[in-house]
Amino acid sequence: MSEIQQQARHQQRIEELCAAAIRALSGEPDLHFRGRRLHRGRKVLPLYAPHLHPDIDRDDFASFRGAADGLALRLSRSDPLLHASLAPADPLQRLLFELLEQYRVESLSDPAMPGVAHNLAHGFERWSLAFHAAGLADSESGILIYTVAQVCRSRVLAQPVPEAIEDLLETTRGGVVPLIGHDLAGLRRQRHDQAAYAQHALAIARQIAAMLAGAGEGRDSAGAREGEDIDRAAFSLVMEVGKEVPEGMASVVSGRSLVLEGATDGYRVFTRAWDREVKAPDLARRAALLEYRETLDRKIAEQHINLPRLARELKALLARPRRDGWDSAQEEGLIDGRRLAQLVSSPTERRLFKTEHREPLADCVVSILVDCSGSMREHVLSVAMLVDLLVRALEMAGVHSEALGFTTGAWNGGRAQRDWVRAGRPAHPGRLNELCHIVFKDAETPWRRARNGLAALLKADLFRESVDGEALDWACARLASREESRKLLIVLSDGCPMDGATNLANDVFYLDNHLKQVVAQHEQRGEVEVCALGVGLDLSPYYSRCRALDLDAPPGNAVFREVLELIAGRARR
Amino acid sequence: MMSQPDLRLSARTLFGIDSDLMVPAFSERDEHVPELDSVYRFNADVTLAILAGFMRDRRVMVQGLHGTGKSTHIEQVAARLNWPCVRVNLDGHISRLDLVGKDAVVLKDGKQVTEFQPGIVPWALQRPVALIFDEYDAGRPDVMFVIQRLLEQGGRFTLMDQNRVLTPHPFFRLFATSNTVGLGNLNGLYHGAQRLNHAQIDRWNIVATLNYLPREEEMAIVTARVPSLANEAGQALLAQMRALAELTRKGFAAGDLSTLMSPRTLISWGENIEIFGDPATAFRLSFLNKCDEAERTIVAEYFQRCFDRDLE
Repeated sequence: MSEIQQQARHQQRIEELCAAAIRALSGEPDLHFRGRRLHRGRKVLPLYAPHLHPDIDRDDFASFRGAADGLALRLSRSDPLLHASLAPADPLQRLLFELLEQYRVESLSDPAMPGVAHNLAHGFERWSLAFHAAGLADSESGILIYTVAQVCRSRVLAQPVPEAIEDLLETTRGGVVPLIGHDLAGLRRQRHDQAAYAQHALAIARQIAAMLAGAGEGRDSAGAREGEDIDRAAFSLVMEVGKEVPEGMASVVSGRSLVLEGATDGYRVFTRAWDREVKAPDLARRAALLEYRETLDRKIAEQHINLPRLARELKALLARPRRDGWDSAQEEGLIDGRRLAQLVSSPTERRLFKTEHREPLADCVVSILVDCSGSMREHVLSVAMLVDLLVRALEMAGVHSEALGFTTGAWNGGRAQRDWVRAGRPAHPGRLNELCHIVFKDAETPWRRARNGLAALLKADLFRESVDGEALDWACARLASREESRKLLIVLSDGCPMDGATNLANDVFYLDNHLKQVVAQHEQRGEVEVCALGVGLDLSPYYSRCRALDLDAPPGNAVFREVLELIAGRARR
Repeated sequence: MMSQPDLRLSARTLFGIDSDLMVPAFSERDEHVPELDSVYRFNADVTLAILAGFMRDRRVMVQGLHGTGKSTHIEQVAARLNWPCVRVNLDGHISRLDLVGKDAVVLKDGKQVTEFQPGIVPWALQRPVALIFDEYDAGRPDVMFVIQRLLEQGGRFTLMDQNRVLTPHPFFRLFATSNTVGLGNLNGLYHGAQRLNHAQIDRWNIVATLNYLPREEEMAIVTARVPSLANEAGQALLAQMRALAELTRKGFAAGDLSTLMSPRTLISWGENIEIFGDPATAFRLSFLNKCDEAERTIVAEYFQRCFDRDLE
């Protein structure tokens, strides 16, 4: 688990750096990675070319740099409208056309940035070798596509083909180059003119597609297999176009919910009759709570967290200087009338002035929403410590804070599901479980009085299933009713929404897509700032401000630094 | 001090800009004329705006990010016209008395007398002087109302303490420079910038914007300052340096960095390369160490793009 968490964090760091580089190189401020894919705002950008998507297990950091530079050049040097208007419909031709356009923009990299050219070459070479190593170039059609990709790149960028594969290409190259020679020369010549270049690129794409089709017809017996090979090679080249997220190791696997999209009245709830909102101290016996509290206090004491420092840093982040009264007895400033008598009595006394006093004041409320789903149980101690320490530090910084949790009242739908069965199982009932929203600490209760409530987080049988979207709405509504001008919601979660009964009765991504809708809605409205801490997990498919945390060990100062960065907005992705 | 300009010079030869303007100038230098910087490069648009200020008595405000050489630009135009020029740095503590004048105790015939000492505004008003309010947006807006009437052409100035009305000298000129356009510290970069009164902003006849220069111009400026970069290898290095500066500016615009490289940083980087030899060491000392710890990795990425090696 820890390895996966570390890898998720490693990937996240790489993506942050790459996204920053893309933003600077392309000059577009709203680009970021979500679920491994580059997004502009909330819109996912197309997969431009296969070599722009390195794999964290296989490739090194320099390949990621190459991919980032390739994407940045594509965004800044290519006219997407012109490109779309010229693109052919046939998937194979389209693939080659995309690839050739990518080569064109890569050949236009700024000569004052030699690092960019080097990164691009490195990234492409790694991809070439991986493609070859995976055996994709073994079939007749595979080697043809591969050769064309290599030869065209070497011509357009005026760079030699990587040495390791030069021999491999020799025979195929001899057959292909004479057929497309004229257009190959045109590519290099016209690389500054997208429209003229595209004509040559289209000609090459047509020629190669025709050759592949010919190869398939020529051998009828092997026709089926050959066709499969083409698909396979092409598929690996374009990668996972259909899926939204590539094999998500520690990212959330997400998809589309047809039920939710098809419903005219949006998200549905079968019944709210069994939903309840409870205060945490009511969840357990007092003696048990005291015991939990003792465990929590002991663990926290072992961690040696520098709480005053954390509070100071939070204050620096959340508080703004406000005018608050006067400082008297100053050496300069405005004359303080009350001190004039002193001037008469002791003329040497010079501290007669007053200045404005400015005090940092936090006009802010922070709400921490904990996902109490079954899988969170294994992190419960770390999560409880994190929440308890944050609440204490926030209180020391003068910030009001809430600690909330969400789970369900039962497994597999409980009474709501029973009602649904009794009603004759109507189709698409919507959410089908008893919600249980827990208030561990509300904003008006000081930490000292909420100590036992916070300890209730350790009660393991609370943790059942999770309906994130509604919980988020609930937490945001609570925040919205507060008077503070800045409202911050921190969601602490380890995965996608999960409720067995709802998923069975609707479809697998029903709750998942509702969460996306809710987050998007709140992010757009901007009244509440929503950020998320993923427990060993990249939550970027849902939240645009998120961080992956490693909570296998109890939270130390490093974890809090990440939380602070998230609040500061540096973790924007 | 000469009371009016007695020459007409060609803007083309004086500033190297493409314009047929003939501009008035003084034949003699005065102690208030700024030092001439012979290698200074003028930006055509801003120069024309400033010249309009000098020739047609317009009130010109030059706005731009820090380190773009706003005040120097005005000073260098004045230096070439031999026009006396006084720079006042505004800050939050400048009061009305500082600008208008105040009663002060002076020695006269061995006796202490209280006498009115005119401030910088009445002094400059009566002379052919270009008065530059530097960091105009740092001045407190309520205090800045002192110059409200002066901003109108031929607007007179009333000295209330003295019951005198001053008519501006026909060759008195007024300029201002500021980082913001009077909307306050919006991007968090210019702490202390005030929100200005728009009735006053409205009275400035010309607002010129001097932001970062095109690549060739900026490179020419740095080359002029750092002669060791004037050869071919130096120019190639400078192109990389300038590309890096550009990346930091875009990164700043995207909110990834909270600092950016101004032409001034670029010049000191060039000078530090002369001292330390290695561009990476010089870069660390001239810019990287000014960046927030958390942002250094991003700057290191930019560095790798432009220099094809990693910053240690």
